[in-house]
Amino acid sequence: MSGLVVALLLAGYAPQQAGSTPLDPAREARVQALGKQLRCPMCQGLSIADSGSSAARAQMDKVRELVAAGQTDEQIRTYFVSRYGEWALLEPPAQGMNLLVWILPGLLLLLGLLAIARVVARRGPGAAPAEAAGASGAQAPPEVDPYLEAVRAELRR
Amino acid sequence: MKWGLGLLLAAVAGVLLFVLARGFGRDPHEVPFMLKGKLAPAFTLRRLDTGAPVTLADLKGKPVVLNFWASWCAPCKLEHPVLAWGARRFAGDAQFYGVVFEDTEENARGFATPLDPSFPQLIDERSRMAVDYGVSGVPETYFIDAAGVLRGKFVGPIDARTLAQRLAELQQPQAPLSAVSR
Repeated sequence: MSGLVVALLLAGYAPQQAGSTPLDPAREARVQALGKQLRCPMCQGLSIADSGSSAARAQMDKVRELVAAGQTDEQIRTYFVSRYGEWALLEPPAQGMNLLVWILPGLLLLLGLLAIARVVARRGPGAAPAEAAGASGAQAPPEVDPYLEAVRAELRR
Repeated sequence: MKWGLGLLLAAVAGVLLFVLARGFGRDPHEVPFMLKGKLAPAFTLRRLDTGAPVTLADLKGKPVVLNFWASWCAPCKLEHPVLAWGARRFAGDAQFYGVVFEDTEENARGFATPLDPSFPQLIDERSRMAVDYGVSGVPETYFIDAAGVLRGKFVGPIDARTLAQRLAELQQPQAPLSAVSR
């Protein structure tokens, strides 16, 4: 154990610097909010605000520096996108190919609902009379309307 | 009516397949390199050996090879002799500089041959310059041509053959780099 400690002390260690001095609360909140939107390049799906890696710390420093310099959120996001690509944004912007990611889930849900509605509507006229007949034989026989029959036959197809 | 539903399902499946094919067609951990073909961001860094400041503007007129490394990075140790060799071998074609990434000066001094005069090392306080260059890890090697344009970067430990090839490409005016460039 002590050998390990000595080995660790003698070996080159990975130094972890503390982040730069936080700004005033309002601007620091912006720094943290922006940090949450930016992806840490060394991690797996972590934002730079959540990561403890040194690269993420360096990037948080940069965000802080840019906020302190009076840049807007959009400008700061652009700074990172122009270096690391859209990859740097944890939430892809809703445009171009990315639009699919935003639209497809809703569209699929809508399609599913439509399919259910269709099945229910199709079963409705066919199944309901049979059920009604089984439940109460006292009911009047369903009227025979050639047009309605034609529609039902069409629906059953 | 059944045909309509089938077609719709086929269309949805098609879109899904397209999205998945695009997603699986690339490495999600690969950080894109966006600065290719752009002017390299300016910097002023301090030399590890002499303490003299080095600015990118001073280096203009001759291609620059920038290598980001750290003493805590094992692949960097493997790569370092290749760059030290390259710095001597191609001294007439390019200027080689190492940039210490997220490390202490003391550790950097203890690294392989950091005080080699043909391959000077620079200290990047708080990695400001590394973030400007879009560094996503170490080691990474950047190639800047004589006009100060970033022509490409190499991620991971570079080998002698690739280094020589990249340097040859740097001599040609604005020719696109080979397909391996990222």
